[in-house]
This record gives sequence, structure tokens and C-alpha cells, in this order.
Amino acid sequence: MQNQQPLHVASPLRQSLPLTKEAGTAVYLKLDSSQPTGSFKIRGIGHLCQTVGAPGSPVCVRRRAQGIEPEPEPCLSRPSTGGNAGMAAAYSARQLGVPATIVVPSVTPDLTVERLRDQGATVVVHGKALNDSIVHGQQLVENNPGWVFISPFDDPLIWEGHSSLVKELQQELREKPGAIVLSGLRRAAWGDVPVVAMETRGAHSLNAAVKAGELVTLPEITSVATTLGLARVSERTFALVQEHPVFSEVVTDQDAVAAVERFIDDEKILVEPACGAALAAVYSGVLRRLQEEGKLAEPLGGPVVVVVCGGNNISVQQLQKLKQQLGLPGGGHQAGPA
Amino acid sequence: MIMANHFHINTPLLESVNMSKRVGTTVYLKMENSQPSGSFKIRGIGHLCQQSKGIVCSSGGNAGMAAALVARKMGLPATIVIPSSSPELVVQRLQDQGATVKISGKVWDDANAEALRLAETEGLTYVPPFDHPLLWQGHASMIAEAAASLGPDVKPGAVVISVGGGGLLCGVVQGLQDVGWTDVPIIAMETDGANCFNTAVKAGRLVTLDDITSEAKCLGAKTVCQKAFEQSQRKDLNIISELVSDQQALHAVQTFLDEERVLVEMACGAALAAVYSGIIRKLQDESRLPALLRPLLVIVCGGSSINMEQLANLKHKLNSMLTFNEHSFIKPIYT
Repeated sequence: MQNQQPLHVASPLRQSLPLTKEAGTAVYLKLDSSQPTGSFKIRGIGHLCQTVGAPGSPVCVRRRAQGIEPEPEPCLSRPSTGGNAGMAAAYSARQLGVPATIVVPSVTPDLTVERLRDQGATVVVHGKALNDSIVHGQQLVENNPGWVFISPFDDPLIWEGHSSLVKELQQELREKPGAIVLSGLRRAAWGDVPVVAMETRGAHSLNAAVKAGELVTLPEITSVATTLGLARVSERTFALVQEHPVFSEVVTDQDAVAAVERFIDDEKILVEPACGAALAAVYSGVLRRLQEEGKLAEPLGGPVVVVVCGGNNISVQQLQKLKQQLGLPGGGHQAGPA
Repeated sequence: MIMANHFHINTPLLESVNMSKRVGTTVYLKMENSQPSGSFKIRGIGHLCQQSKGIVCSSGGNAGMAAALVARKMGLPATIVIPSSSPELVVQRLQDQGATVKISGKVWDDANAEALRLAETEGLTYVPPFDHPLLWQGHASMIAEAAASLGPDVKPGAVVISVGGGGLLCGVVQGLQDVGWTDVPIIAMETDGANCFNTAVKAGRLVTLDDITSEAKCLGAKTVCQKAFEQSQRKDLNIISELVSDQQALHAVQTFLDEERVLVEMACGAALAAVYSGIIRKLQDESRLPALLRPLLVIVCGGSSINMEQLANLKHKLNSMLTFNEHSFIKPIYT
């Protein structure tokens, strides 16, 4: 595959009849779960790596000379052990034929480390929290000429990469959507189409900021949706709320995990709880409530698009554990005989 | 090939690191599960129904779902005739897709006879599940897509597919011809007890199975279509017919759900088992595939007739014969 081609794929967009029935309005799914590396992250990170990391790329040289390596997020009370960004970076580097070193905190599960190594990355385990890993990563870049630091979060190039999703929607959908539903908030601006930004309680940094009218740092991330687990949203994300109609909504971990379970049966796709938060907008009736409250039109002017962001860090066994931990029905025993 | 008005999408072609590790060559997955109808069937059926005034089909499975979806998109009436043995869930799903569901007879043959009668008397387009040149032509588009995704420098070492009635097989053969890849071996996977293609290949003639004893019901044609058998006899093609047990297919479904996070039917699991149960390695050991194999292209055909409860039931049913423990599916067989 050539370097000029994007590293992400144009992901499938399809109508879901079960979710349409549930929501009472047409629901389309943007299946970023079927991206290489299993999550939407490759869009942004792939674009960033392609721009700064390609060998001999003039952009790469200029960026380094200007010293504008992206700053990490300032506050993270608990490490995100999801590793979806790391996976995306490792995959991108392999496709581009450049070496990758991924620095992860010691709490990262062995399976995640193994998956990163399978992608050909060198994995360095350093520090207890993601902050330590980020600092160590930046030191590595300082000490090794030619290395580039890839921020897991908020580089403008990551945002630019994520905007490809909306471009695809504009090509595929014949009509403007009535709303776009996401986990967390990313650039998904399409004119005046409202964005429903879903979070779980305990990882609701955007909702807390929206309510306070300013950036807020959560004291702790307590949700199981660890890949949503930013204690503080970035300035950029917060600014988006001011520019664009965004409804910030919060569901419980139980809602998110129940949504994950129903989604397997309805659409045959297993996603992380962070992605389940977006699905819960349909399954837990958030969209209907927003319509009742007059925040969303009824009927909606177009279909609802739910961005299925995917995520690697889930298996049937982990889902079972989460159900047990959250006291959901069927969580007390393994499905099927042992 | 030009398709005036098609309803399938260009599905992602994904590299599976987990599967590549097992086989020792790069494995690409053509994710047909992400089609609008949940399986590859929509390619051929969308193509077949271009000139239709109304559609009749006797499949309660993936072909029926695809036919109903195509009809809805084209604004055409669809009648799906299914036997009384069909689960209520199937009826519901087809109705949700906008189809008229007619229950006729006790077994599929009765329903199919009624569908053929309706096609005749009402002037409807009969959609066969697998045996029609237009279906094969539609299915062929997946190989052209895969070739475009892989780029001009990559040619697969083999294509792995599941075989039920042979519709996908005929489509893949045509697709390989279209892109000039006739020398690429096709590994045609079936389960024991739904092995009409393998039986025909071994006998050197079409054979009708007495019964379908496999849980991979979507592979459950008793006789493979004539064209698929003819393809197996061609000297310029290399079609390798292989069987796996239901346990191996189920193990593949479970492993795929954990590693690739997609739930597929047992029928699709048969193809995946070529990787997970070491069929590829066995073929290499037997020198039927080269030891240094170019990338493997696995068609993930998808399928909607599965959910977590059915998966648990299958585990329960097949469990007594399992040789590995409950959690062994998360570990690779070959390391």
C-alpha cells in the first residue's frame, strides 16, 4: 500500500433496522469498528503519522525544526489503558515502514502490550500513570534525533484526520442527518447538524465542563469506559461546544455495557463500553428524551448517524466480567456451560 | 463490470495481525459481514433484481434478508415464502425489512415450490439462494474490490471461502477470472454434515446428501449447484475442498468474536477455521500450497442468523465433544 493513500478505510455506513425500531427514527451506523486496528483512532493518528513520520517528508523536517511537538493533555488522574491510540500509531508506523516505540504505563494489560508488539512496535513500559509515560516519551524524542512524538490526544493533525469521517458521510448520505451521535466529542461538524456527545458518569469531563461553563478537571475517573477516561477535556474540544450545537449527555456504566451486549445481538459487532455510551443514546432513550424536551426536532429532518467508534480492548470474557461488576442481569454466571 | 444500481458497499479489506501470526503469512479479511444486509448475498441479489417488478424468495436466511432489503431500496414488493418450521425471529426480521412473509408447508422444499408457483403466476422475479449466473456475476465484484484494495503489487496466495450451495464459489471463480488471477487457489471450506461440494468432488459427480447433520445450517444445501461442480473439474483452476468439524467452526466463531470483535454464523466459521484449525498449514505440509505463501484472502461472508444466546446453545450442544476447555478459544492453537 502506498504512503499517499490514507491509512484508514472509508468505513461502511448502513442503516440498522433494530436501532431504527428502537429510536422510532431512521438510524444509520458509521462502522469505524471495522477500521484497521479496530477503532476510529487510525483516522487521526494515521494522518498525523503520515504527515510527520514519513521518512524524508518535508513536513516532518519543518515541524521538527520549528519545535512544535504537540503538548500532552495536562491532567490525567487515571491512565487510559485502552491503547487504541497506541495500536493506531504502531499500525501506521508499520504501514509507513518507520520504526515505532510506544511508551505505556505499568498498569497496561499484557494482552495490549502483546498486541502492540505484534504490530511490530517496540514497547517501553515506564511509570505508573500515563502522564509519566508521556514525559518519558518526550524525553526519548529529545535524546534521539529524528524521532517524532505522537501525542495520543489533541494534535491539530489528529483533528484534521478525524474530519475524514464527516467527509465520508457527506458522500454516502443523500440527505443531511438529523443528528450525529458520538462518544465524547470530536470534530464532526456538518453545518447546523446537532451533535449528541455521549459520556458515561465517572468519565463525564465534557459534561462537567459544559455545566460549569469552563474547563473542569474531574477528581477521578470512576467509569469502566476507560478509553473515554480523560479527566479534563481540551480547550479545543470545549471551544467546539461554543461554536456548534452540541448536546452533552451522560449515561451510566450499566447503560453503556447493556448497550454493548444488545449491539452484539442486533448488529453482530462487539465494541468497548466507551462506544456503548454512544449506542446507549438509542438503547436508553436519550434521543427520544431530547426530542420530548424540544432539543431535537420531532420528526427529525434526516436520519440519525451513530458513530460506532469501536475499540480493541474487549472480549466476551471481559464483557461478562463487566456485567458481573456492574450487577447487570446475566452477569452472575458465564454464558453457556463451563 | 457495470452495475447500474447496486445496493452493496465496497467492504473494508483488513489485515488481521492475529490470524497472520497463526498462518505465518499476511491474512487479509474481506469484511462482507459489514454489508447492509449483513452478508455478501446482497451483491448477487442486488444484481439479479435490476429489471424486476417484484421479488419472491424462499430463503428465511441471509438470501431472504438481502432480497427484502433490495426490494425495499427499489420500492418493489417482496414476498418471502418460508416453511412453518422457521423461528418467529426470522419472520419478524423479514417483516421489519418490509417484506410480506408467507408461511407455506413444513419444510423448505414446500416453501420453495410455492415461491416458484408465485413467480410463475404473479410474474415475480424468483430469487434462488445460490444457483443463477447473475448472482455469481454480482458476487464476483468482491474480488475486484479486494484486488483494488491490495494494489497492483499484491496477489493473494489463496482465497478462502465457505461453500454452501456453491453460489459464492462460482462468484469468486468469476471474480478471479475478471482480474486475471485464475492461478490463485481457492480453498473451499465446508463442515462435516453439510459437505455436498466435498462429496461431489470426491465422487466425481453431483451427489445429493441424505440429510444435513451439521449445525452450519446456512451451508445446508443437499446438492451443490452444477456450475460449482463443473468449476471443481476444471484443469485451469485449483479448487481445494476441505472439511472441518462443527466444533472447529464454532471454535472459529468464538475466536473471531474475541479477536476481531465480529460475530458470524457457523457457516462463516467454516472458512475462518481454515486459519484457526491449521488447515492452511496442513495444506502446506502436504505441498498442496507453497511453504512460502503469498497473502491469504479470507472472505468473511457474514450472516445474521446468530446471537449470543444461540452461540451459548451451540457451545452447550457441541460441548460434550470438545477436546479443549472453556477458555482455550482465547489461546492460539499454533504458537
